[in-house]
Amino acid sequence: MRVSVDGTGVEVAPGSRLLDAARAAGVEVPSLCADPRLAPYGSCRTCMVGLEGADDPVPACTSPAADGAVVRTDDPTAQATARVALELIVGSLPASALELPEERSEFVRACRKLGVSSSRFGGPLRDEGRDDSHPYVKYDPSLCIACARCVRMCDEVQGTFALAMVGRGVETVMAPGSGGSWDESDCVACGACVDSCPTGSLSEPGLLDLRPVERTTTTTCGYCGVGCSLDVHTRDGEVAAITPTREGAVNRGHACVKGRFAHGFIRSPDRLTRPLIRRDGELVESTWEEAIALAGSELERIRSEHGPDAIAAISSARATNEENYLMQKLMRVAIGTNNVDNCARICHAPSAAGLSLAFGLAGGTNPFEDFDRADVFLLCGANPTEAHPVVGARIKQRVIRGAGLVVVDPRRTELAAYADIHLRPRPGTNVAVFNGLAGVLMTEGLVDGEFLGERAEGLEALRELLDDYAPERVEEISDVPADDLRRAATLYGQGPARALIWGLGVTEHAHGTDGVRTLCNLAILTGSVGSPDGCGANPLRGQNNVQGAADMGALPDMLPGYQRVADEAVAERFETAWGVPIGRERGLRIPEMFDAAVGGRLKGLIVFGEDIAQTDPDSGHVRAALDACELVISQEIFLSETAALADVVLPAAAFLEKEGTFTNFDRRVQRVRPALDPPGEARPDFEIIGALATALGADLGCRTPADAYGEMASVTPTFAGISHKRLDRDGPIAWPCRSADDPGERRLYRERFETPSGKAQLAAIPYASPGEEPDSEFPLLLVTGRRLEHYNAGTMTRRTGNLELVAEELLELNPDDAANIGVADRERVIVASRRGEVELTAEVTDRVSPGQAFMGFHFPEALANRLTSQHGDEATSCPEYKVTAVRVGKAAA
Amino acid sequence: MLDRLRALKREHGRIEAADIDRLAAELGLPRAHVNAAASFYADLGFQPRGSRHVQVCAGTACFAASAGSHINDLSRRIGVEAGGISEDGRTSLQPVYCLGYCYGGPAALDGEQPRAGHDLVEQLCEGAAPGDPEIPVHTTLEDPVVLAGVLDPDADPWEPVRDVLAARDLARVQREVVASGLRGRGGAGFPAAVKWKAASEAPSRGPRYLICNGDEGDPGSFVDRLLMERDPQRLLAGMTLAAYASGATRGFVYVRSEYPRARDAVRAAIVAARADGHLGSRPDDSGFDFDVDVFEGAGSYVAGEETSLMHSMEGLRGEVAARPPYPTERGFLHAPTVVNNVETLCAVPWIVDRGGEAYAARGADGSRGTKVVCLNERFRNPGAYEVELGTSVRWIVDELGGGIEDGRDLRVLQVGGPLGGFLGSDQLDVPLTFEALRDAGADLGHGSLIALDDRIDREALERHFWRFAASESCGTCGPCRLGTRQGLELAEGRGGPDSEEARSEMYSAMERGSLCAFGRSIPNVARSLDRAWSGGAPAPRRGASTPHAEHA
Repeated sequence: MRVSVDGTGVEVAPGSRLLDAARAAGVEVPSLCADPRLAPYGSCRTCMVGLEGADDPVPACTSPAADGAVVRTDDPTAQATARVALELIVGSLPASALELPEERSEFVRACRKLGVSSSRFGGPLRDEGRDDSHPYVKYDPSLCIACARCVRMCDEVQGTFALAMVGRGVETVMAPGSGGSWDESDCVACGACVDSCPTGSLSEPGLLDLRPVERTTTTTCGYCGVGCSLDVHTRDGEVAAITPTREGAVNRGHACVKGRFAHGFIRSPDRLTRPLIRRDGELVESTWEEAIALAGSELERIRSEHGPDAIAAISSARATNEENYLMQKLMRVAIGTNNVDNCARICHAPSAAGLSLAFGLAGGTNPFEDFDRADVFLLCGANPTEAHPVVGARIKQRVIRGAGLVVVDPRRTELAAYADIHLRPRPGTNVAVFNGLAGVLMTEGLVDGEFLGERAEGLEALRELLDDYAPERVEEISDVPADDLRRAATLYGQGPARALIWGLGVTEHAHGTDGVRTLCNLAILTGSVGSPDGCGANPLRGQNNVQGAADMGALPDMLPGYQRVADEAVAERFETAWGVPIGRERGLRIPEMFDAAVGGRLKGLIVFGEDIAQTDPDSGHVRAALDACELVISQEIFLSETAALADVVLPAAAFLEKEGTFTNFDRRVQRVRPALDPPGEARPDFEIIGALATALGADLGCRTPADAYGEMASVTPTFAGISHKRLDRDGPIAWPCRSADDPGERRLYRERFETPSGKAQLAAIPYASPGEEPDSEFPLLLVTGRRLEHYNAGTMTRRTGNLELVAEELLELNPDDAANIGVADRERVIVASRRGEVELTAEVTDRVSPGQAFMGFHFPEALANRLTSQHGDEATSCPEYKVTAVRVGKAAA
Repeated sequence: MLDRLRALKREHGRIEAADIDRLAAELGLPRAHVNAAASFYADLGFQPRGSRHVQVCAGTACFAASAGSHINDLSRRIGVEAGGISEDGRTSLQPVYCLGYCYGGPAALDGEQPRAGHDLVEQLCEGAAPGDPEIPVHTTLEDPVVLAGVLDPDADPWEPVRDVLAARDLARVQREVVASGLRGRGGAGFPAAVKWKAASEAPSRGPRYLICNGDEGDPGSFVDRLLMERDPQRLLAGMTLAAYASGATRGFVYVRSEYPRARDAVRAAIVAARADGHLGSRPDDSGFDFDVDVFEGAGSYVAGEETSLMHSMEGLRGEVAARPPYPTERGFLHAPTVVNNVETLCAVPWIVDRGGEAYAARGADGSRGTKVVCLNERFRNPGAYEVELGTSVRWIVDELGGGIEDGRDLRVLQVGGPLGGFLGSDQLDVPLTFEALRDAGADLGHGSLIALDDRIDREALERHFWRFAASESCGTCGPCRLGTRQGLELAEGRGGPDSEEARSEMYSAMERGSLCAFGRSIPNVARSLDRAWSGGAPAPRRGASTPHAEHA
């Protein structure tokens, strides 16, 4: 459609409004109640424009653009109407509303544009006081103009429904929750309301401080694998505020409490600012020269005494691709071992393995935006509204608008409450449930025969196996009612656009890879991967760059791009590029490193940006391993549980201080740019790794992160087309991207699967019981997981206002079990497993089923991993975090 | 949800934050949204209520009846401030906008017991016998249309329904209603057949809805109350035909809470109609399945606006929404929805029975058929009159109404409710049609004629009018929310626009910029009052005439 705005012709999409046309034409129209993220509302009436053929001016925000429409934003009647509408608003606000800096107030900009500097309309002003009860969201009702943008952001973008307009007529004002203070409301502090508020009625601590922002840097969030684009506003060497990038490819102007607000850690007084070395048993401050020299000489000594395989490194899923590339290169080139792994091992290694076996590549198959067109979601073992909030919000919005939702989770998560069907299998029985769902798809004829015939293999073996997984039999194994299983399979099977999404509830099991394979069966049976309709099979990756750390070859058996060390041609290519021989045998996986250390075979360990003493299972065993090593080097931003046990602690830069790239859950490579300098003497890990290499007498090349990416791409066909230069020019690119003119494959397998036969592989895998089973001594099953407000080990979020929001870990206990144990809500309990015990506060809730309990792992005071076991996935060694037999008792008063 | 909140308020006299939390948890709704709805409606809200709750009518007819004194008198005598509660917490007094006793006011509801008459204060405070006058009903027509059943209890409104459904003659309904030229009687005058066609053709995956707008909020009008109380079968029959034509399978009658008797009468009529096989699963083999329920409002004038009305039915605040999308495309629960007024629907059985031509033969160009006009207590002969459109207003005032009671003089006549306009006694030679009334600066609106006599003080009338405007503005759009407040400030002498120029510009911004007919109409009413009082020349009104701006 073509529309003329003030004489400028613009092309707009059908369904556009006149305001869209004005924006397209580059004409500024004040529109205080409009936000491109929201449906048109039409309340402020400051966007009145002249429309040829209409007697009266029309509001640009709600009026549909018709082909051939002629709009005049300078129409005198329209301008007069808009000006008085604005003047009425000015008259209802205190003078302070006009005193905000223009760049911080859309309202002030509108007044400037329409030439309103005072009001002829006066009357009593709103006199409620400010609400500063929440650490991040600050509310001044006297500046509310009842545009309802905050309410609509909360409803239409976030989906929390925490806010509403209350009262009527001139009393109309926004109020959170049931009308009490903000901190008592259901607000999840995503910040969307603050971001949209046109007057500053809603603000945040850093923006209430009126000092101007000096610089805004666009980067990628360092919390979780969603990969939100953030604008980091800085002044005086500090973060003033972080706002979601409106044009963000992934997040489209949305964020969550972590990415948006939890930046206080960056200038926390306990950041590591100088290297530490252990002297006489104590960690003491040192210099870079001394610390690096010590690390280098000790590594040298261990290598010469015990051989290179006595040294290992745990690379960081929180660090950049370039740093991960450099770390695995350090190990393979400067040390000479394949003993490098990353924490994908303990979260999504089964996803990578399962996806590779089923489809060929170790990543999710479809882009995030396909979720927006899904007719049905099958969400398994994932709690995205807490762990991946921006993804969770988008799924929720789609479900609210009518998409079907099946949730498979033992716990009643927020999305489970929105589900059409919620299956609650006993922890550890996923494979039986997924086989059961597959069986129903087959018997109900909900499979895509043509797709199976042409593009998949293994149907016969699967069909035979599934005879044993009738719904009633699955019910016996998993406690999932047979009818619910049938309904769930039917809903998913009917599609037509099906999105299969999973999280750590599928992978962190003794049969995690089997879980992924049997889950992928469902997508293959229905033709939902590699087809035009299908919305694919996507794991929600846990940490910000866990996809990238594995992509970069921080794996004991793989070089960058999942190229096997055992593949002679591959190894030779890297030997040529790097100029050193590479071992063909795979190195140690993380759990094997701990065993080797305790067994005396591993002497030196580099721990890069991970707090393994808190996050890895059976932490007693992890501590024993760290104790057993002769040298532990920790690259950290805080003195974490792990760093405190290290011999050399190297102070590193945090993600807001780094240059490089992260790769998110849908394989998008995105730029990371430094918004601040690291504090004190802290350095980016990229430099630290380079310095370690130098100390070992090796030159890794790669002077800059861009160089490192370029070198990696030159030896890795799947990344060959990606470079920093291109990312800066074109924005995020999804891999595979094989050449400079390849746009990147956002949807995989449209032509063929990347398996040896080119076909998707169905897997006939029987159910096997979990590694850990309850007994009379340890009768409950504990599941561990994440909370919205905290991230992983909590090293960052516990040093922010998020600690005010959630101050301690809670053990969720079903009311039946609580009654049996004699524990009331908020009483202290002791949880004991076969390995250890922790004390914490109980929350009695039916979110968990009888016989089960749940806790997060964010707090060292309540260290969940003292309880968890060393059982792990047979295929990948991923720990069985989701099944731990425990006993709960009342703590001594 | 509104029902639950209402019950809480009735049982406990107040709604507290803990109630909101509990109700939200029970209904699985966000707390904020429950809180928002509770805060919006006059019947709910957080003001405490006594075991004796008196709703006193603050409508314009009752204002005219007592020359603006009855609320203050009552407040003094009962010892409770208007909008407040007695110190012992037993008695509360709530002014409401119109109880539909305009022909016999001033009026109040004592609990659900109506009381009306000049001795209202005595009735409420001294045990005088409750006055509960019936609506006087008259017609000048030999063969009335909407009052057919009210005036002739033997008339069977279901006959055309049976005929049509037996023959499955959908085309007949559509044909006759198109031929009749029937336009909505809620105020906006949108052609009924066009609306039905739009809804029937709008894509829908689920049901379509037909909503009868019985939120007769216009102070001065009582025709809908009359029809709902005295001939609800005609309404249900009309709804059935309208539903058939628009493809709706579910119907609702939205009855305002100020009309408890109408609510009960429609409910009883639905039960009877189901028992007789008219509603629910039909005994005939027409395959048409239509049922109706009553939805009770919670105290909001603007809820009579169709988007606001549907929000209210969804348990939300009665906020007006921008259109498009129109309800016929995306209405109640996001489904295609037809919203028709009571009187509109009550005309349908007659039209289908006698044919659209017969209906169109009455009335004037562009304003076909008949209209029930409501005359207030100041007339010598107050009551409801069905007349042909096009009838002279002066004739209605002088001949039907018999002029003003008590030998008083007519000062101004408010035509078409609070969003209509005022005419001076020298401006009455105007035919009762949509267009002519607009040209005269008034509006047909809901067909109410409120005579204000020479006892009325102009400033009191202005305060009365602006208080109504400010307290019933829903608050969604700025020009109306803030403009009505400015008007009230000015009328009460406290502030407002600082110059005549500013006031005039504000009126223009309200007329051009308001989201719905409410805010767009207010300035015209204010101007028409100026003119009618001072006897100036009429100026045609502007705004408020967009075809879909239907208002009950």
